[in-house]
Amino acid sequence: MKKDFDISVIGAGAFGTTLASLLTMAGRRVLLWTRRRELADEINQEHSNKRYLKDISLPRELTADTDIKAAVRASDMVLMVVPSKYFRSVARMVGEVILGDQVLLHATKGIQVEPFKRMSQILREETPALKIGVISGPNLAREIMAGKPAGAVIASRFDEVILKTQALFEGSLLRIYQARDVVGAEVGGAFKNIIALAAGAVDGMDLGDNIKALLLTRGLNEMTRFGLSLGAKPLTFLGLAGIGDLMATCASRLSRNNQVGFRLAKGESLQQIITHMNHVAEGVTTTKAVMSHALDLGLDLHVVAGVHKVLYEGYTVHDAMQWMLANRPGREIDFGSERCV
Amino acid sequence: MMNINQDAERIAVEVVQRVMERWGGSAERIEDVLFDTIYQERRRLETDPMGTPAQARYYDGLQARAIKAGHQQQRELLREVVERFVYEIQGHFDKRVYRLATKVVPTGLNLMLNTMSPIRLLEGVFDGSGGFINQVTLAGHTDLLQKLANIGTIVLVPTHVSNLDSVLVGFSLYQMGLPPFSYGAGLNLFANRLFGFFMNHLGAYKVDRRKKAALYKDVLKTYAGVTMELGYHNLFFPGGTRSRSGGIERKLKLGLQGMALNAYIHNLMANRPKPDIFIVPCTINYQLVLEAKTLIDDFLKAEGKSRYIIEDDESSKPKLILQFARRLFRLQSKVHLVFGHPMDPFGNLVDEKGRSMDARGRPIDRTRYVFVNGAPGFDAQRDREYTLELADAVVQQYAAYTVVKPVNLVSYAIMQRLKTENPELDIYRLLRTGGRKPSFNLGEIYKDIQLLIEELQVMETQGRLKLDPLMHSNDMVMVLEQALAHLSSDQEHPVLTRRGDRLFHHDRNLLLYYGNRLGLHPAMEAK
Repeated sequence: MKKDFDISVIGAGAFGTTLASLLTMAGRRVLLWTRRRELADEINQEHSNKRYLKDISLPRELTADTDIKAAVRASDMVLMVVPSKYFRSVARMVGEVILGDQVLLHATKGIQVEPFKRMSQILREETPALKIGVISGPNLAREIMAGKPAGAVIASRFDEVILKTQALFEGSLLRIYQARDVVGAEVGGAFKNIIALAAGAVDGMDLGDNIKALLLTRGLNEMTRFGLSLGAKPLTFLGLAGIGDLMATCASRLSRNNQVGFRLAKGESLQQIITHMNHVAEGVTTTKAVMSHALDLGLDLHVVAGVHKVLYEGYTVHDAMQWMLANRPGREIDFGSERCV
Repeated sequence: MMNINQDAERIAVEVVQRVMERWGGSAERIEDVLFDTIYQERRRLETDPMGTPAQARYYDGLQARAIKAGHQQQRELLREVVERFVYEIQGHFDKRVYRLATKVVPTGLNLMLNTMSPIRLLEGVFDGSGGFINQVTLAGHTDLLQKLANIGTIVLVPTHVSNLDSVLVGFSLYQMGLPPFSYGAGLNLFANRLFGFFMNHLGAYKVDRRKKAALYKDVLKTYAGVTMELGYHNLFFPGGTRSRSGGIERKLKLGLQGMALNAYIHNLMANRPKPDIFIVPCTINYQLVLEAKTLIDDFLKAEGKSRYIIEDDESSKPKLILQFARRLFRLQSKVHLVFGHPMDPFGNLVDEKGRSMDARGRPIDRTRYVFVNGAPGFDAQRDREYTLELADAVVQQYAAYTVVKPVNLVSYAIMQRLKTENPELDIYRLLRTGGRKPSFNLGEIYKDIQLLIEELQVMETQGRLKLDPLMHSNDMVMVLEQALAHLSSDQEHPVLTRRGDRLFHHDRNLLLYYGNRLGLHPAMEAK
């Protein structure tokens, strides 16, 4: 039986609204769920989402609703774009109604801190869905809403999920590439926010491009080692979900995590920055989650440790940078077969 | 319950039809599989001691006919081979092969086994007073298993360490009032009259592990699948072979497990009244394992050289089986069979009404998982992933329902101490030489096992493994005594003995083997 919508997007933040709009503009029938009635009314009547996408018009055909059960039942495909902090509680609601033949995607680039869980693990715990996929890549919401093309990966163990997602985005501004490595796509998407915080701080301190390149490269190394320890495939980190996302986030001032790092370097406190931000900077909690898990795994991640010192251990950005630079460099590539010393 | 032998013809027809649908399509595919099968069988017969001149003549003749045959005739020849395989699996064996196989059992024992009911024999040997069942403790979700056996088809998937496993499982199912389970047993087990009795009681069919042809393996899988569809409970060991290391299985063979899902989808598509298939993991936990020595020796051989099929181990020698059984009886050694929580073919837990539940305990409509365009259907890639999902869930239950016994604990503790005190020795040299000290102070070992038990008790409360009841008492003396009684019970070849306040390690290979049940357990590796 044909459903009323092609996809239900759960979460009307900046990226959820962006993906919903992008798909609507590509001719898909999209239902966007938000828990707030006034936001649903604004999207339906004024075709805007001023809180998250200021000064941007949304397509008139985009429909918003606050009934999550109806939203999940309305489509064969459900896409969750909810901050990691609320991901589990929303997933549990989705789990009440979703059926085994539905495809369940997410595009949340975060990690649950305690206990350490990736978003797809939470979906498995909170829903009966098995056909799960993750969308990840360099996708700055404002650029996409400005009509600029971009690329992402859909990673899933199921061909059906990959092919249906590609078909869904066909003809849109977002080019979707196929991937199998769900763990890698999730780790890449979440981990890059930590590096973006550090990159923003380097910009804020005006330390130049050399050290920024050093930071990104070492960050990519740490991302790969961390991902490998969780079962990811190393080559995933050379793709859109790894270096691709890292390049965009670390270079662009549109990135929230980058902005947080920049402002920290300028002397603002984390509390001040978060209080005045409309958006969620996932990198802040991801740093905590990754640092704690890396200790459990016995991994030595210097960039993450440096960011952690600023966010949670009372270091200034300057002190943390000094601490990072004081560490004796070891092997450059330490997750492969290269042997040194 | 239907009788699988009465249904044999129906099963055979269905299996042949399914296999022919898969392989009997294009001329090219038929030719490939036909000649591959002939090649594999002729090659097997060159070295197979159970091979007969008649079999060799058959495949020589088949090759000659196949070369001359056109497409249609080749298709008929393929059907002939498939039918031959099905009848072999169902037990229509070449009599000469069977006679040869039964010669493995020495005449005197053969006579004894033939004249005595094997059940009575086991009852007498294992426990003179209350019967064999008193030696075996059944635990876990036995009630659920019994209830679900009436609602759908059970696929029991135990861990595997010994050829005695299938006998114990078969006997336990019989004691629980369940009908025989269909089970693919190796030909060597049929050769042994004692095992043979239980194999037949289990509803066992015959698996020739020397046959390597893809067609034969497909026939075997299809046979299992068809019996599941027709409502016959199935038993198989998803590890594929007995654990060589002594550890529980971490990687499972997916072929037969996949047949559970396949049968479920077939049942839904055919709108059968009882379509459900329930997978029940089970752990079998011994203090001593009959074939321990052969298995660990095989494990320790250079990687890649270990034998997949071992036909000349302790379980092929009835005298050794009887001696072993008497030892277990003398030691009052309990064997724990723990039945895990039944699952659907996707790895979801199932309740007593047969409903699948999600991780939050909410009921799931499991039929939806196999929908293709709104109705049940096959999707090879999807179904492979579902089977992997199930395999993961089975492995998790294996870990959670493994019972750590005093022998495992003490063996592990001694091996750890050997490693700690001889850091310069690799494992092979350590096993061979025993390191610097031939014995350890008893007090040190008590301390080690005390610490280990405390750790294991925490793991048990977290649901990561189970402990033998003796280990709940915190009585280190009893734990060590029981382990020692077992490990020194073979007086000619003791593994570990006590003299005064010192423990002497004699057979370190077996210490490694019994200790691996704990040392290779996922909960210990995650430490």
